[in-house]
Amino acid sequence: MSHKLTDGGQVLHVGTLARVEGEGAMHIEIDDGKVTEVQLRIFEPPRFYEAFLRGRAWTEPPDITARICGICPVAYQFSSCMAIEDACGVTVPATIQAMRRLLYCGEWIESHALHIYLLHAPDFLGYPGAIEMAKDHGAAVERGLRLKKAGNDLMTVVGGRSVHPVNVRLGGFYRMPSVAELKALRPVLAQGLEDALATVRLVSTFDFPDMEQPYTYLSLRPEHGYPIDTGSVVTTSGAAFDVRDFPSHITEFHVAHSNALHANLDGEDLPYVVGPLARYTLNHDRLSPLAQAAAREAGLGTTCRNPFRSIIVRSVELVEVFVEALRIIDGWRDGVAPSVPVPARAGEGFGATEAPRGVLFHRYRLAEDGTILDAQIVPPTSQNQPSIEADLRTLTERWVQLSDHDLSHRCEEAIRNYDPCISCATHFLDLTVERS
Amino acid sequence: MTATRLVIGLGSPDRGDDAVGPVVARRVARLGLDDVAVLEHEDPTGLIDLWVGADVVVVVDAVCSGGEPGGLVVIETGADAEPLADLAWARTGRGGTHAFGLAAAVELGRALHRLPTRLVLVGVEAAAFEHGAPLSPAVHKVLDAAVGAVVGAVAGSLTAIGEAEVTVDVSR
Repeated sequence: MSHKLTDGGQVLHVGTLARVEGEGAMHIEIDDGKVTEVQLRIFEPPRFYEAFLRGRAWTEPPDITARICGICPVAYQFSSCMAIEDACGVTVPATIQAMRRLLYCGEWIESHALHIYLLHAPDFLGYPGAIEMAKDHGAAVERGLRLKKAGNDLMTVVGGRSVHPVNVRLGGFYRMPSVAELKALRPVLAQGLEDALATVRLVSTFDFPDMEQPYTYLSLRPEHGYPIDTGSVVTTSGAAFDVRDFPSHITEFHVAHSNALHANLDGEDLPYVVGPLARYTLNHDRLSPLAQAAAREAGLGTTCRNPFRSIIVRSVELVEVFVEALRIIDGWRDGVAPSVPVPARAGEGFGATEAPRGVLFHRYRLAEDGTILDAQIVPPTSQNQPSIEADLRTLTERWVQLSDHDLSHRCEEAIRNYDPCISCATHFLDLTVERS
Repeated sequence: MTATRLVIGLGSPDRGDDAVGPVVARRVARLGLDDVAVLEHEDPTGLIDLWVGADVVVVVDAVCSGGEPGGLVVIETGADAEPLADLAWARTGRGGTHAFGLAAAVELGRALHRLPTRLVLVGVEAAAFEHGAPLSPAVHKVLDAAVGAVVGAVAGSLTAIGEAEVTVDVSR
């Protein structure tokens, strides 16, 4: 990360900001101490996934859309599976849904462990990155790597690979892991649970800026358990609707400064937020007793609206997915059919799951022979762009007296609160502040 | 005592020139070198665990440093060597997941005292990273040279030669 300060011109430039995913820029204009413009400029080229899904077979999206992201491919696989199965009138058995949830636990572990320890914790401990942090906090970084490896191991056993799993198919899996294979994971996951609890204790000691988000939170809420692989949509403003009504409530729109579509909820100007804070606030009662206790001991209430404390919520969610993975493994029995048929038919289907960063929605319209006529994908980071900009505006106004260097660093931290995933291809974000 | 030697091909096998690491690793594996283990891997954060217990490790990966496609870069480092220079290999391949690439994995391993005695990074300058695309002609042309560089590195002395960077001209 390099900083180039030109105080005389009131222009600040931060090039090659690590620990944020994708190509983008942050532009902030300050006039006489007032913030006049905040833009999260995403210039990552459009990737046209929705366009080139048209004309493909109904069986292909789980493999194609998984390639959108290297850190959350399972989210794309399962949101697409659920949408196409919905279009084809198929509901998978509870056993298959449980194995999906187990694989999804692996993805959450990988993603959250990476973000907490290697990308986010350095902000709170005062280091430019994980490498510098490791020199003083080696045991903590080792714990983070151990956690991530536990996620990798789970993904490998269930998904066939730790990155871009190959065992997922429409209707289920190509092969179910055996009880013996899953039991072999138990020591790793049990250690992971201990490490996750230690993570909550560690991050609860960090200092957090005082900030509360007034935005609407949106997440899934299933009939049972914490939202991961399924659920209908709920919001803190009291709305509750089925996933198939997502397009009638969520409107995507283009803004000139971003190649990623923005989104609003029910036409409101106020941003809405998806991700850990929304899940936690709307589903605290669905956490396991152990995760609830960990949250309580970390000082969290039943809701959390401070985006900087998202690192605690992610840690509590780590506890939750280890508890959940162990529960599923302990209850697993051999002899389960790995998949059910999903015959093609004309129709439209909707699916949503909770990616580590928030709700990921898919919609597909199929021809009678299963050819995809239309596809829509709404990823979490797109939905969070307006709230990221709103957070930056709030922060800049509150801390406008800071030096350009300190202000830009605080803004970078605010962006990392969201663990944004602009793309999985390249990594740099330029940040400019103009004062006049 | 025989040193434990490991070759790791890093990169996605289905993303254009990012596959050069796995492709070279497979070719090295087919040579059946004595006492040399060969792995393929996609996630740079996993390297630190992969090379546990190995004395000599060679990682081959795509490089995107602005050089001519097909150029080879060999960087020697190891447990007792100085840290890699700033920006060295900062944009290798597709960089791994979420801003954590090969250079970061190496330096994190050094900070945690988990680097092999001798670590050799063999980079192949890439041309393109399109989904589902084969290797570019420029990279395909230098596969034999890359295999040679890997074999030479893995067969070399256990003693790290210190930090060194070598650019191999394979254009002729």
